[in-house]
Amino acid sequence: MRVEDVVCPFCGCLCDDLVVTVEGEQVVSVENGCTLANEKFMGGKRLGHPIRRDGDSWKETTYQEAIEATAGILMDADRPLLYGWSGTHGEAQSIGVHLAELLGGVVDNTSTVCHGPSILAIQEVGHPGCTLGQVKNRADLILYWGANPIEAHPRHMSRYTTYADGFFVTNAFRDRKVIVVDVRRTESANIADEFVLLEPGGDYAVLSALRAIVRGRGDVVPPQVAGVSREQLFRVADLCKNARFGAMFFGLGLTMTPGKSKNIRNAIELTSELNRHTKFTISPMRGHWNVYGSNEVFTWLTGYPFAVDFARGIAFYNPGETSSIDILHRGEADACLVVASDPGAHFPRACCDHLARIPTVLVDPHVNATTHLSRLQIPVAVTGIDAEGTAYRMDGVPIRTRMLYQSRFPSDAEVLSRIYDVVQREKRK
Amino acid sequence: MQFVMITGRTIPQGSAVERKHSEEYRKEASTCHMHPVDMMDLELEDGSRVRVRGKDQAVVMQVSAAPWLNRGHIFVCLGPYANHLVTGETRSTGMPDFKNTPVIVEPTDDTVPTVAALMRACGGCPYEG
Repeated sequence: MRVEDVVCPFCGCLCDDLVVTVEGEQVVSVENGCTLANEKFMGGKRLGHPIRRDGDSWKETTYQEAIEATAGILMDADRPLLYGWSGTHGEAQSIGVHLAELLGGVVDNTSTVCHGPSILAIQEVGHPGCTLGQVKNRADLILYWGANPIEAHPRHMSRYTTYADGFFVTNAFRDRKVIVVDVRRTESANIADEFVLLEPGGDYAVLSALRAIVRGRGDVVPPQVAGVSREQLFRVADLCKNARFGAMFFGLGLTMTPGKSKNIRNAIELTSELNRHTKFTISPMRGHWNVYGSNEVFTWLTGYPFAVDFARGIAFYNPGETSSIDILHRGEADACLVVASDPGAHFPRACCDHLARIPTVLVDPHVNATTHLSRLQIPVAVTGIDAEGTAYRMDGVPIRTRMLYQSRFPSDAEVLSRIYDVVQREKRK
Repeated sequence: MQFVMITGRTIPQGSAVERKHSEEYRKEASTCHMHPVDMMDLELEDGSRVRVRGKDQAVVMQVSAAPWLNRGHIFVCLGPYANHLVTGETRSTGMPDFKNTPVIVEPTDDTVPTVAALMRACGGCPYEG
């Protein structure tokens, strides 16, 4: 069976033009996808059944036993942490938030270790953003800062920027200028018209220098700023000011380096300065395909986009205190439910040590690093392949992912609903 | 020798991200990219093994020459090997210093651990199924 207009559930681009051929329960070919999409649809080996730790070994268990055991672990805990959510659909994320509220636990998503600082900055100074369609059709200058789209979002350039012809940009490759700012010469830097190589941790200073130049105070800029020459800074500022429509995209090169949320605030304020001269927008390069959706769902349910603590009976939000890394690093969580994520691979060692100490349950289709730290794993269908649901693209556009074949696995939403029902039943006793 | 460790995505890492038990993932996630002149200073060749020490922990990786890096920097793709060296301290921001970790790199003959072995070192129980 050939299915057209399939949505790719890998990165925040959510490319919706894939053509996928399915035979039974197997995807046999993917057209239009990048390498990452091909691997996503055709490469993964699923865990076939729920498993539970038994001393130093693992045993198969049933879905019913695994769900009852998970509910028991969460109810026995004083400070349960419900983490992940970016690799599943909005409907499952919604149930997760309700479950956290019922338990009085903390619910946090993977933006806590990716664009959490961007959200903090946006809460301070706003977000002059736009959709990717606007960028494709209007932007004649693209600025990638601390982002390497060729490796992290392989079709971003071909669908929206460098190679994508648009309504007002009819020959994108010739008419669009591309600036890349990074601490290393990435693949993306190799195709840039202007590559700015800065020292690690120098982003805030370079952004400040650009702001000064755009503001007309270039006289205060020294000959070198974090390894970048004054001449190049003036050249970059001129390129930005002279664009008809500029679009800045920033990645984790800004959020994870010293300065963190203040780097993003500075980048947003540079964008604001540039809007005195021309039209300029700024957008985060969201990584997980539905991480933006987790922020949306958390926000419309609780008022906060991540790191939401229900211990007080109401939603409380204080990143740095209620965020997953801090809760695990302090040894505070006494149980953890991980959904559609892999903190074992992506959290610092000290947090992994704590996940191994406490009863951790993983709801994920594949064996990953967190499997080895867990007491239980419940395999589920992969949203966008054998489950459907809503996801949000990196620019905040909601897109419905499709189910390509009937799965023998339950979806995340089904498993979480059953856990929720058990907890609710027990709490009512 | 002291370095600054930078992390980031790579295509091979993303391709194998749902096969973390695979040799392809282990190899990519445990590769320490280093400028060739720094490799010369440490008397390393492509594929030589190094012990990379962070503040609290160390992990063995293999080296690969990377002329696209500045001297004094190493690049390791995001994953359990790089994160083994990152501390959990966020200084109340919620975000650890994933991309700016000071490390010490020294040659070693020890073997590169598997992902499962790294998780065992954290107190986990490897699932081999």
